[in-house]
Amino acid sequence: MFKVGDEFNSKFKISKDIYDGFVNIFNDKNPMHVDLDFAKNHGYSGIVMHGNILNGFISHFIGEQLPVKNIIILSQNIKFNNPVYLNDLLQFNASVFEIYESVNVINFKFKFINQKNITAAKGKVQIKKLD
Amino acid sequence: MTKEEIIKEINNIFIDVLDDEDIAISEATTSDDVDDWDSLNHIHLVVAIEKHFKLRFTSQEIQSWNNVGEMILNMKEKGI
Repeated sequence: MFKVGDEFNSKFKISKDIYDGFVNIFNDKNPMHVDLDFAKNHGYSGIVMHGNILNGFISHFIGEQLPVKNIIILSQNIKFNNPVYLNDLLQFNASVFEIYESVNVINFKFKFINQKNITAAKGKVQIKKLD
Repeated sequence: MTKEEIIKEINNIFIDVLDDEDIAISEATTSDDVDDWDSLNHIHLVVAIEKHFKLRFTSQEIQSWNNVGEMILNMKEKGI
């Protein structure tokens, strides 16, 4: 089903709906995320989006964009390289870099690149294909 | 590698994967003997062992093991 080198690409936008939904559901109202003046005073050009919104996009990628549905995430790590702002359009790229057929485990590398061609985040996610 | 050397390296993998410094495995060790060696951690352990020793098992091989010693025998057959 998967082979090393397989690539997947998609785009995600940090919309107002996603941002509002995240703030309201998880109640993280740290001023860096909700107070423009506070964020600007700390060197950012706008309120900084929660990094874990990107993890939601990873969830969407694994759950909705792969060609199989009988999968679970075993582990995931992400490094936030640059801030993401409201309405940023992120190009998402993921590729298979390791497969462990004995236990049906597939390892992906991924990265998010913003509309200015700057890497916003990158990491790895490991999934298991269930029998 | 000798069995003892393999066990020592596998033990370090168990400590790392299961985050338990007190683990001390032997050839007779089974999943019943180690806290947190559950089905998902079993997968993490197999992946870590395959990666560390640069080898690949088959699903049939994994299912045939009854203890750590049988896994090590399998590894020896693969030239470890």
